[in-house]
Amino acid sequence: MIFEMFRPVHRWIWCDAERRAHKLLRFGETETDGGRDLVRASETTPDSLLRRLYLEHAIDEHRHGVMFRRRGNEILRSLAPGSNSSFQADWLAPSGHGVDDLRVDEEPDEALLAFLHLSEKNAADRFSVYRDVLENDIPTRAIFEEILRDEVFHMNYTLTQLARVSPQRHGRTLWYERLRRIWKSYLRMAAALGAVMGGFILTVQYFVILPPFAWLAKRAERRESPGWAPVSPQPNRPLQRQY
Amino acid sequence: MKILGVSAHYHDSAAALVIDGVPVCAVQEERLSRRKGDASFPLSAIQWCLDHACLEPDALDAVVYYERPMLKFERILTCALRAFPHSWRAFPKAMQNSLGERVWVRGIISSHLGVPSSRILFTEHHQSHAAAAFLTAPTRRAAILTTDGVGEWATLAVGHGERKPDGNTEITLLREIRFPHSLGMLYSTFTAYLGFAVNEDEYKVMGLAGYGRPTMVDQVRRVIRRTPDGAFTLDLGYFEFHTTTERSYSDRFVELFGPPRNSYEPIDLETAEGQRFADCAASVQRVLEDTLVDIARTLHQETGLTDLCLGGGVALNGVANTRILAESGFERVFVPSAPGDAGCALGAALYADRIHFHNPDRDVPDHPFWGPPADGVELARLAREDGHRFEELDDSTLIEQTADDLAAGRVVGWMDGALELGPRALGHRSILAAPHAVAMRDRLNRDIKFREEFRPFAPAVSIEAADRYFELPPGGARLARFMSGVFPVRKEWRQRLAAVTHVDGTARVQVLEHDMAPRLHTLLEAYGRRSGIPVLLNTSFNLAGEPIVNRVVEGYTTFRRSGIDVLVAGQTRLTKRASPLANAKEEVTCSRSVERSSAR
Repeated sequence: MIFEMFRPVHRWIWCDAERRAHKLLRFGETETDGGRDLVRASETTPDSLLRRLYLEHAIDEHRHGVMFRRRGNEILRSLAPGSNSSFQADWLAPSGHGVDDLRVDEEPDEALLAFLHLSEKNAADRFSVYRDVLENDIPTRAIFEEILRDEVFHMNYTLTQLARVSPQRHGRTLWYERLRRIWKSYLRMAAALGAVMGGFILTVQYFVILPPFAWLAKRAERRESPGWAPVSPQPNRPLQRQY
Repeated sequence: MKILGVSAHYHDSAAALVIDGVPVCAVQEERLSRRKGDASFPLSAIQWCLDHACLEPDALDAVVYYERPMLKFERILTCALRAFPHSWRAFPKAMQNSLGERVWVRGIISSHLGVPSSRILFTEHHQSHAAAAFLTAPTRRAAILTTDGVGEWATLAVGHGERKPDGNTEITLLREIRFPHSLGMLYSTFTAYLGFAVNEDEYKVMGLAGYGRPTMVDQVRRVIRRTPDGAFTLDLGYFEFHTTTERSYSDRFVELFGPPRNSYEPIDLETAEGQRFADCAASVQRVLEDTLVDIARTLHQETGLTDLCLGGGVALNGVANTRILAESGFERVFVPSAPGDAGCALGAALYADRIHFHNPDRDVPDHPFWGPPADGVELARLAREDGHRFEELDDSTLIEQTADDLAAGRVVGWMDGALELGPRALGHRSILAAPHAVAMRDRLNRDIKFREEFRPFAPAVSIEAADRYFELPPGGARLARFMSGVFPVRKEWRQRLAAVTHVDGTARVQVLEHDMAPRLHTLLEAYGRRSGIPVLLNTSFNLAGEPIVNRVVEGYTTFRRSGIDVLVAGQTRLTKRASPLANAKEEVTCSRSVERSSAR
């Protein structure tokens, strides 16, 4: 729904050929990574039917990755050499699994299926918008068309399998997963904000506290002769010390 | 005495367990977590090592970390100060990375394992490399040369080691070259410039070098200069790895060598641009080799020893190793199966055992197989559940059948015994194929490994037949034991070994002794009886971007996703139907109908 509202923005994002190429290449990486996660899921699940389905899903994701990369490279090759990479707007137009993360080793099948179902649904929403705004690039549009067909299968099997492995609680599991996604989004945002604040404080310290030490360090560096340095005798450095 | 070695936090973390002076097991975290180059603290690897030896953490006499974290932190801080104010963007990231986890190693180990901090020890990074190289090599006295990107301060160190008749062991590092002057960083910078992943794809540069001519050696020599004392310095004006985290080369570097390669763009060697990249790779490769040979030659003259142990990530450069063997004066060159940081876990544990605790020297088994075993019964179960055809055969029938498969042009996934430590598949987790036709190489690159077409494949040959097909100098077979050298394929055989002969007529051959991998050795002989050439193409059992498979289920999913025709694990043989593509389509249809019926 939100994606629908931003359709003009997506049209602008996808209209630039170079940006489109880089986006497709990054989508390719995301799909391939997602495929690896699914392979891992197929290796860890005790359920043989799920193993087969995860593996099939993984093969699809790998194929999507190849399609995206191939098309991205085709567009890049068609551009004039030396064209500069433009603003990518990644957070506005994320790829298949977007900013979702997946730790398959730690998830029971029902949580994983719920996660996959919601991720696929999100991806399908996004990809249908991308397909619609790509009316001037028929080959790329065709790729999204094809992937969307696969996404329907992925959404369906994850939902039906969720109902199979958790017949009593699958609705609750889906809601729990939706809430967990919101919580994870909050955590990611908080971590990102923390990193920005930490970075800011460290940058201020860098310019306020470090200059005299930097002067000393540079002076010491000038005294160092290039080439070999003797290794300090080992008895001076017992193995209990971290330095 | 039970000693656990740990390497972590930069790339390729690992754990190794040494009991009474002998390695018992070792495994890289990536093989268990399935994240390539996993640098996280290797909890799974530690857990597996302890489980394998039936130990609780409190039974450990020592846990040895492979480097000194505070010394490393000092280097990071000092470099940020030296580069002031250009390091302003890198500084916050470096501090967040270091202070977040990396300097608190003692606490991390202590909290995870419950080991008292007095039992936690730290070796220096290049001591760990030196120990991994020297203490695993079958030699009594040897010179030691370790070189990588950077440890604490050292990027290259030379010294010597000796196992004394009284059982004591000595490892002495004489001198070192310090950061930022680093052969590893030089090579990594070119790796990044050529559009490959740093710390992962350096071997692609080596492969690409075979297609080029060293026409830019003079330019590379402006970037790295020799010093009068025989060492070298990097001209830091061409680099940025010491000031930023975004890019390792500077605008001056780009002015000197031309625009960098877009990592997404395939290398087309037919174009001038593609050839420029290949020439660039050939040039840096040549300069790296010349520098290493020169340093090794001086070390040989200085020590007068006949053996050299090489360690550090740069020792994975097989072409350079071969030139060192040929030109430095050393008669034998030993490179462990894991000369990089993963092997440091084993090196650190051995160093503590021999040097810190003064335990008597023990011979270390001369093989790379220290990881989890492959279980053929599991493959039978998976195949049965998924409705695939499989057979459980006795050993000789299985090997004869596999030789038939290979002779018929089938690609075989081969899982046998314990997993290798290190980046090479040396016969326990390998994809095997007939080495004769270029079409096989192309098929493997295209349908199975999904990788660049310029990448060569390696052959495996029995030691008895090696000289017939490859020009091995004295000491060459030893260097080729763990695929650590690159040697010419004899001219008369290049046509018949086209899938494993690189464009320059060489191959990164594995010379196999029966005792190291008996089943693969027997398979080579069986294949030789059919084809007349006991050589097989041997490549790591993984797909592009994935770590080498560990458990049978991982081999099975790789088999299912790729064009591998036959999977062998233990005594179990699993086959695909005639056409891999048709089979995949069939699988999809089959699964969909299963899913639909289940949905109903």
